[in-house]
Amino acid sequence: MQRIFYLMKKEFKQILREKLFISLIFLAPLGQIIILGFAITTDVRNLNLAVVDADHSSMSARLIESLSATESFNLVCILDSEKEALREMDNGKIKLAVVIPKQFERDLKNGRQPQVQAIIDGVDGNSAGIAMAYIGQISRKLQQEWMQKTGVSNALNQDLRLVEIETRMWYNPSLESVNNIVPGIIAVLVMMITAFLTGMTIVREKENGTLEQLMVTPITSMELMLGKVLPLVIVGFILFNVGILGAGIVFGLWMKGNLFSLYLMAIVFMLSTLGLGIFASTVSQTQQQAMFIAWFFMIVALLLSGFFIPIENMPDWVQALTYLNPVRYFMVIIREIYLKGTELLYLWKEALAMLAFGLATIISAAVRFQKRMS
Amino acid sequence: METVKIKNNSHSVIVEALTKKFGGFTAVNNISFRVSGGEIFGFLGANGAGKTTAIRMLCGLLMPTSGQATVAGFDVYTEYEKIKMNIGYMSQKFSLYEDLTVRENIEFYGGVYGLSRKEIREKTDYLMDYLKLWDHADDLTKSLPLGWKQRMALSTALLHDPDIIFLDEPTSGVDPVSRRNFWLLIYELAEQGKTIFVTTHFMDEAEYCHRLSIMRDGLIVELDKPGVLKKKYNAENMQDVFMKIVRGGKGQD
Repeated sequence: MQRIFYLMKKEFKQILREKLFISLIFLAPLGQIIILGFAITTDVRNLNLAVVDADHSSMSARLIESLSATESFNLVCILDSEKEALREMDNGKIKLAVVIPKQFERDLKNGRQPQVQAIIDGVDGNSAGIAMAYIGQISRKLQQEWMQKTGVSNALNQDLRLVEIETRMWYNPSLESVNNIVPGIIAVLVMMITAFLTGMTIVREKENGTLEQLMVTPITSMELMLGKVLPLVIVGFILFNVGILGAGIVFGLWMKGNLFSLYLMAIVFMLSTLGLGIFASTVSQTQQQAMFIAWFFMIVALLLSGFFIPIENMPDWVQALTYLNPVRYFMVIIREIYLKGTELLYLWKEALAMLAFGLATIISAAVRFQKRMS
Repeated sequence: METVKIKNNSHSVIVEALTKKFGGFTAVNNISFRVSGGEIFGFLGANGAGKTTAIRMLCGLLMPTSGQATVAGFDVYTEYEKIKMNIGYMSQKFSLYEDLTVRENIEFYGGVYGLSRKEIREKTDYLMDYLKLWDHADDLTKSLPLGWKQRMALSTALLHDPDIIFLDEPTSGVDPVSRRNFWLLIYELAEQGKTIFVTTHFMDEAEYCHRLSIMRDGLIVELDKPGVLKKKYNAENMQDVFMKIVRGGKGQD
């Protein structure tokens, strides 16, 4: 026990003294929450737009003005034909073209429902859908404006459509996506820091020759492992709380469920990530190798966790693979507890699976560590 | 197999037919020797001759393939944990924590060796006096000159007052004055009755040893006092002796 105490004390001193670790522990999580939290939204901004105006009327001018007034679009040019617009899109100069037909104003005044065409670069399907929806919104606003001027009856108003819009679930979903992403980021943070730091702090002793020095002392490899890992459990835990606070302060997203249930689950989750770090340390000679190995596993685990990509969208065999991924379970648990306030009782399947994988990972990593040491 | 603890002036390291194989490669081949308490025992050989492997077996870091060895009276196969309590070890690689202060290093290793808080405090005071490090007690270890670091590393390896000290190329990369100071420290320790087991590439240092063993290709090819070896090889100094012996083998850089 005494040896573990001294090891932990030493470990904390080293962590606190290493600028890199400090920034990894505190700045990285806040930075990630802020950057990723804002970046992974479905807002569309400054999409390059061209308008093909075949009508040259006051109403078409009003439409162009409305389109360029929004922050979503950046009006690049006004063209004469659809062909030109398509060429600009091929060249990547614009992402969106709005084509206003001839006699737009006249048809509109006669209640003949002119068709305005929107051509969208669909490479980024998400943005395309949202841009589409924005155009719909702008057109509806204009309709109302003109309706009052022309005095066409409300009944007709109902049928009038400038642009046919398809309503999508993700319309204006920025708030919702933050809610989903931010708890995920907290999970990723805990995973990254514990897996990286565990691997790095163990291998660093190898690199510096201090591990050899420790091995000639009466310290056992179990004591050594605990002494190295326990400080990182505490660090991971602090980080977890930094993440929770960050999410609350920056995004106003506070947990609906029980904090202690989530703490418990976070510790169970860390069994897997610490195990990964220990494993990386047993197969690496340098800190870079340890980081690379931890990174490799983490990326795969992250992609198959449902963090970015919904698991339901994956092919069946990949879906089957995700059941072997502890991160998958933690993603479900943290989102459920965070957003719905789900009781632990209803999450027992995920909790159990995570515990099983955690124990398996950390025990096999520990056994490997012991073998390598003796 | 003897397991009785051997006191000073009897043999503190006994090695009989000790062998270590890594797959088909025999790193240490059937070596035997005895080292007495208070003796400075030099372990020479070209790189790859098997010195470090032999030392690692005696320190309980590596299981021998065959043969017998006791260190401080404890068997290397079964009692390596007890061996670790009775030896000090300092390797060629500087192995204190550079990002801890001098005082913190002493505290940490003291704690690992099971010293009480009071003992750690006393040891710290003693070592600071002894190494004249009071002005640097709270400096990070990395800010010290290498010569000081080596002496500090040795002192730290001796916190638990071991009977036998293994030094694996302790002075590589150290300037001549610091090397001399380091050897003064080694002599002092030998006078206290501690057994010193040292490997080196410096032939002037080899002359300081009471007895020398020279390894080649995993075998001990010579084992005697420096003076006797010089006479036997009709050599001016240990450098010549070493070159004559080592040239006979293949295990050199």
